[in-house]
Amino acid sequence: MRPCGVFDKSYTQDMAIIRTWQHWVILLSALILLYLFPLFGSYYLISFMNLLAITVIVVLGLQIVSGYCGQISFGQAAFMAVGAYTSSVLTVKFGFPFWIALPVSGVMAGAIGIIGGAPSLRIKGFYLAMATIAIHFVVIWLILHLDITGSFKGLYPPSPSLGSFQFDTDERMYYIIMTVMIIMTYCARNLVRTKVGRAFVAIRDNDLAGQVMGVSLYYYKLLAFFVSCFYAGIAGSLWAHLITVVNSEQFTLLHALEYVGMLIIGGMGSIPGVFFGVLFIRILNEVVMFTSPVLAKAFPWLGVSPAAALGLTAFGLAVAVFLIFEPRGLAHRWEIFKASYRLYPFAY
Amino acid sequence: MTGFLQQAITGLMVGSLYALVAAAVVLVYKSTHVVSLAHGQLVAFGALFFWLFLGGLGLPFWISLIPAFLLTALMGLLIERLALRPLIGQPLFAAFLMTFAIFTTLEGVFVLYLKGGSRSLPAFLPKGNLSLHGLSVPINQLIGFCAAVLLFAALSLVFKYTKVGLGMRATAEDHRLAQSSGIAVRSIFSYIWILSALVAAVGGIATANVMDVYYMLPYIGINGLIVAICGGLDSLLGAFVVGLLLGVVENVGAGYLDPLVGGGVKDVAAYVVLLLVLLLRPYGLFGLVRIERI
Repeated sequence: MRPCGVFDKSYTQDMAIIRTWQHWVILLSALILLYLFPLFGSYYLISFMNLLAITVIVVLGLQIVSGYCGQISFGQAAFMAVGAYTSSVLTVKFGFPFWIALPVSGVMAGAIGIIGGAPSLRIKGFYLAMATIAIHFVVIWLILHLDITGSFKGLYPPSPSLGSFQFDTDERMYYIIMTVMIIMTYCARNLVRTKVGRAFVAIRDNDLAGQVMGVSLYYYKLLAFFVSCFYAGIAGSLWAHLITVVNSEQFTLLHALEYVGMLIIGGMGSIPGVFFGVLFIRILNEVVMFTSPVLAKAFPWLGVSPAAALGLTAFGLAVAVFLIFEPRGLAHRWEIFKASYRLYPFAY
Repeated sequence: MTGFLQQAITGLMVGSLYALVAAAVVLVYKSTHVVSLAHGQLVAFGALFFWLFLGGLGLPFWISLIPAFLLTALMGLLIERLALRPLIGQPLFAAFLMTFAIFTTLEGVFVLYLKGGSRSLPAFLPKGNLSLHGLSVPINQLIGFCAAVLLFAALSLVFKYTKVGLGMRATAEDHRLAQSSGIAVRSIFSYIWILSALVAAVGGIATANVMDVYYMLPYIGINGLIVAICGGLDSLLGAFVVGLLLGVVENVGAGYLDPLVGGGVKDVAAYVVLLLVLLLRPYGLFGLVRIERI
């Protein structure tokens, strides 16, 4: 739905993502606000934003492989672990700087992702979902049993530094994480409207028809897994250097389930949906975190710290409610809202 | 050789529990074509309800079985009515995602109840070992094994000879066709969820008998799902055979490979087997072969 009175006079205008000057104003002021945020945001809000941004990168990857290419993956947490561990091993054991370790961990996770995505060439649907669960456990098992990853003790990667400047606080890491997130979002938004993105959508909608039209299933399915795991790897690397300790407890199956849940709530096949889903679940988690001590006081039978358990229940219920009442997710509601305000005085 | 046999027997005992959980998954898949992750929680809650009455209230064994079964059956019914019935007509994958939502919801409740601890069931089965040519079998595990075998036999008989079983088989064939020949497909769905919740509860109680009610119990359900997929999602026989097999592979594999790789083979064996089966025979060892282009 285009705003009233906005007409496209050239192909470039037709293809533009940002099409009116109001859009530019909103976008630029949002970006400036984002970068000025540490000046007035509290420490808690900044670390929350860091977590949000890293999760957004992971779920963007998942959106590409699951939302656009239709290959549901429950292995995203494991691929994030691959990225985090690659980055940590490179910086701790081999002394590489963070700036080299970051892209390398993305490529490494992508390479493992191609192996992990190989079952998608033979199976689909929930069979593939189960295969990715299996891959999750195998990857985590390998991490626990290899010597180089420090097995159960984990690794302690250093904070990134540029010259003599140390990115050793959440405020300082904030700039790196936000910049990477913006670049990754830009790439994802554009990738899905290129030839590659259209091939992904063709595979999702009807793989047989896509193949008949000349889309190579082998190439594009593996490419989708590579891109998705590249995103997870980058996010893992950022995560490792943000909290400067990695162990396998940070990448459990429940994390992977959470990412899929965010995708469902946000809406499959939509880049803004990723932001909605991540925000929804993270805010839900925070709400549970703050209300659970109150609840624990009011209802003593809940125990002393019911936050983790209540969070799981709230998350599961939210996903169930969205599956029943709005399977297309918040992104669909957002589209409806946009259409209605653009037409405002008129109904259609 | 004795070591191998001993590990194989232990594996068989564990495998029978996997087979029970897998049977519950297979029952649901057979008639509704929904693959369920939620059964891990039915297993856990079956065991938890049983503990509530046996350990919590101190009721005798036979009496505490009844409310435990009733409550688990009610849970299965509620899952079907509240969560899965609104999704009829939606893609089957939505139902799969729904079972995963149910899994996390109930996982939260389970963890909340346990509060990080575990509940051990008081001994309700005779303790001790049965020795035979130097091999020893714990009697309580043997009873669990026998219960599994009997349950499998009963399930096969129900499917084959009762009217409800016939309805279930017809529903499994084709929902619309079954509906138009006068079978109440929706009540069949309810029956099947109750039945599979009961089977899962038996599996849960038998498992808790061996290893307490603790936080890993729901994940036994995931192993059950793996068994169901490996055996073929629509095959009870497959669930039984592969369940036993997986138990043996886990134990024997752990016995022989653990010294080589430094332990932990048991945790990952099931997943490696699943990957192999999915790559080589995606429809499972005993499943109906559907020709499908990927």
